[in-house]
Amino acid sequence: MGTSAPTSRAHARFDPAAVERELGARCAHLVAAAKVRGADEAEVFGSRSRTIAVRFEKGDLKLAQVDEGSTLGLRIFHEKRLGFSSTNQADERALQHCAEEALALARFAPPDEHNRLPVARALALQAPLVDPALAALSVEEVVEFGRRVVERVAARDARLSIDAASVDLSRSTHSIWTTTGVHAAESDCLFSCSIGALAVDGQDVGGMHYEGDVVRTRGELERSLEHVADTVASTALGNLAAARGESYAGSVLFAPDAFFDVFLAPLVSAASAIAVQRGRSPLAGKLGSAVASALLEIVDDPTDRTLAGCGSFDREGQPAAVFPFVVRGELAGYFYNGYAAAVEGRTSTGHASGGARGVPGLGPHALCVRGGDGGTREQMVAALGRGLFVQRFSGTVDAASGDFSGVAKASRWVEGGKIVRPVREMLLSGNVYKLLHQLQRLSSVEERLGGGARAPYALVDGLSVTAG
Amino acid sequence: MQTESQDPTDLLCEALRSKEGGFVELRYHKKRSRAVVVEKGRVDTAQSTEHTGVGVRVHEAGTWGFASTDEAEVGSIRRAIDQAREAARAGASARKQRSVSPAATTLARGRFESSGVAEAAARSTESLIELALKSEAQTRGSSGSIRSASSSYSEVFEEKGIVTSDGAKAWTRLVRPEFRVVAVAEKAGDMQRGAEMVGVTGGWECLFAAKSAAELSDSAARQAVDLLDAGYPEGGRVRVLLSPAIVGLLTHEAIGHTVEADFVAAGSCAAGKLGTRVASELVTLCDSGLSEFHDGAGGTLAVDDEGVPTRNTTIIRQGVLSSYLHDRESAAQFGVEPTGNARAWEYDNEPLIRMRNTYIAPGSSSLEELIAAIDEGYLLEGASNGQADSNGEFMFGTRLAWKIEKGKKTKLLRGVNISGQAFEVLQSVDGVGSAFRWDLGSGHCGKGQPAKVDAGGPWLSCRVLVGGR
Repeated sequence: MGTSAPTSRAHARFDPAAVERELGARCAHLVAAAKVRGADEAEVFGSRSRTIAVRFEKGDLKLAQVDEGSTLGLRIFHEKRLGFSSTNQADERALQHCAEEALALARFAPPDEHNRLPVARALALQAPLVDPALAALSVEEVVEFGRRVVERVAARDARLSIDAASVDLSRSTHSIWTTTGVHAAESDCLFSCSIGALAVDGQDVGGMHYEGDVVRTRGELERSLEHVADTVASTALGNLAAARGESYAGSVLFAPDAFFDVFLAPLVSAASAIAVQRGRSPLAGKLGSAVASALLEIVDDPTDRTLAGCGSFDREGQPAAVFPFVVRGELAGYFYNGYAAAVEGRTSTGHASGGARGVPGLGPHALCVRGGDGGTREQMVAALGRGLFVQRFSGTVDAASGDFSGVAKASRWVEGGKIVRPVREMLLSGNVYKLLHQLQRLSSVEERLGGGARAPYALVDGLSVTAG
Repeated sequence: MQTESQDPTDLLCEALRSKEGGFVELRYHKKRSRAVVVEKGRVDTAQSTEHTGVGVRVHEAGTWGFASTDEAEVGSIRRAIDQAREAARAGASARKQRSVSPAATTLARGRFESSGVAEAAARSTESLIELALKSEAQTRGSSGSIRSASSSYSEVFEEKGIVTSDGAKAWTRLVRPEFRVVAVAEKAGDMQRGAEMVGVTGGWECLFAAKSAAELSDSAARQAVDLLDAGYPEGGRVRVLLSPAIVGLLTHEAIGHTVEADFVAAGSCAAGKLGTRVASELVTLCDSGLSEFHDGAGGTLAVDDEGVPTRNTTIIRQGVLSSYLHDRESAAQFGVEPTGNARAWEYDNEPLIRMRNTYIAPGSSSLEELIAAIDEGYLLEGASNGQADSNGEFMFGTRLAWKIEKGKKTKLLRGVNISGQAFEVLQSVDGVGSAFRWDLGSGHCGKGQPAKVDAGGPWLSCRVLVGGR
């Protein structure tokens, strides 16, 4: 707690073990306070972070910012009734108030026999996630990395305009402490970069393109920043001179980002065990059944250190492990947190999600869609032959019905197996759960999606494409 | 929930004393919330949160520095001022052009409290849980086709103190409650969702002014069930009637963002178009910190996060682009008055140029007259989500669509996504309804930080691209 730490030159050394001890002690103290006030079971999830953020606008530095703070989230069960309260204040009065609030909420909630905290299970702890060289970067150094990435975009072409860019160095620690014996803590340090840019050529204003990445080691940093800068520049320039496309029904090539947004997001949402239990999932009763073409392989891999979601435990302190989700097109498992697991009398799959400011949710850590044998991006374009190549999707996907409809962004028209021009105002529609069976080809190459997931290019048949 | 509190601006003034130098802005922000989520009879969430601190922004060495503290006491705030200055100096080396000082303007002083704060705070936690439980049960029980229902209630109390070295000293308090209900119906494996959501700045009188919780629950269930038998519209560019919620999305996403001065400077499609015709003369479009026509619009605020009193800004007057939206820095750059659009989500966020309540002013036609004027098209209702691009291209999701044939509203169809170029769509407007509704008060706008906004308008007749099958 306290004020922002001293900036740059006197940059405080990050000692993860010390922070984890201190945060764990505060979690334990609040658990004890809740017990004293009458909670049958109590769980405190604590997070502490220090962030250096540098924002750029219109290609120039706008603001440098340093913040540090922590939050404790208390979940209690009293007579099987749920209450939750969180605070970012460290004084004893605030902690006692937090405990009182959680108990007060629990008094009015109806009891639920499945309301119980998971018990402690053995964790296979990751090797330390914090790269000391990355964590030691000063404000001046973060500013300099930001300046360089923005300059790299600007130097590419005078028609490029950077709407906003940011670089953030975030050192964080999470700790969980429960009355059921769960005691765990882990620290991490991530450097993230995001840029939104467009190209303007006279009266022609190209579509905005956003690109971002997250890295965990100092050694990856320069390469990541160059990749972000080069990708956003080339895509924004490629959006200029967009022309009208053609309406058709048939195959569409999806870049990894668009493939994930249209097809994977609803699939993940429908695979929530709670959605299945509550009757709002079309994947109910489909365990072991084909939900997609046999080409599709998806695994949730919290051990993948190149992805932001890497970690040893979930929001409830349960072990995070490699989880096969879709195997050869068949649904291999649902995602369970503690509550969903209790409903079925089984153990959690370690997929409780969220932070200290809310009750645990449910979701994957680091999804990886395995590439196929479709080769490179260029080979996938060649395989499409003629039609639409979508790089980003902006639209609505309904996880319950699977219906989706939206605009293809940064899209390109393909003729003779080559990209021939950018196109605008192309609307896509279809049904995710039907189209997943019409997956024709996956690229061999996989791309990291903003540092959070990994997916290949995908060629899918059966889409409805409407030109503006 | 407690509501009594002390004026935080005295503390901020004390912290600012002896910290002379360049421009300093101190913002105390206490944010307390209560939330209840119920699904299938189970309370998934019953929570309260409190997040308090002071954000410090300084203008130093030709650039901005920001730091924050979660300890609202003089020593910590003074240390944060020093740290913000250090951050600014660290950033100055990368600054190509010195940023201008904030525009001089009349700054707010005094206490500003929205209606409903005391009423909402006095409402018991038990009543919030009861509301969500009862609504969910009613929705779930309304039809044998309903497979699942959920209901949620949340409220956020915000208390801010804003003090600047050039004279602002404002203490603001408001409350923003939201209520949502969602139903999922199923028939032969086909699942359809119905949803109703409302959000306001004010008390429950505002929140449930148009429809009661029971009516909202019924409506969500009915939508889900009715959609099971609905077909898909055909795609193409057609004339449509947009409901106030979709008009709100259009004004916010497709027009509002392109006229935010930071976005204008980056080259949005509204750049350089002040004084030119960008829409049908039937269109007058505004962004306001007030709540015109009906009380309680979700983005209402008396003072922005730079201490500037908010006002109504006319962006398009009878089809002609007349103003952008500004914070104090962009106002100085553009040589105009600040419009009170600087907003920060929490104490540790910098203020950004954001909208408040954005709307198209009502016209003179009844809904029946607007329908009768369309030979073939769609009536679209219920906004689900939306995005717009720098070039004005937008995409909105709609929940319900009705076919209009020969001036009559006919069969219900499943909601569709619509797309177009915002200013071209506004040029195509040939009818504006007379009834006005705020209808986007739930949910948030995202621009790096969330912001609570509202939007709305009358029914609007225009041409858009409809995505179909």
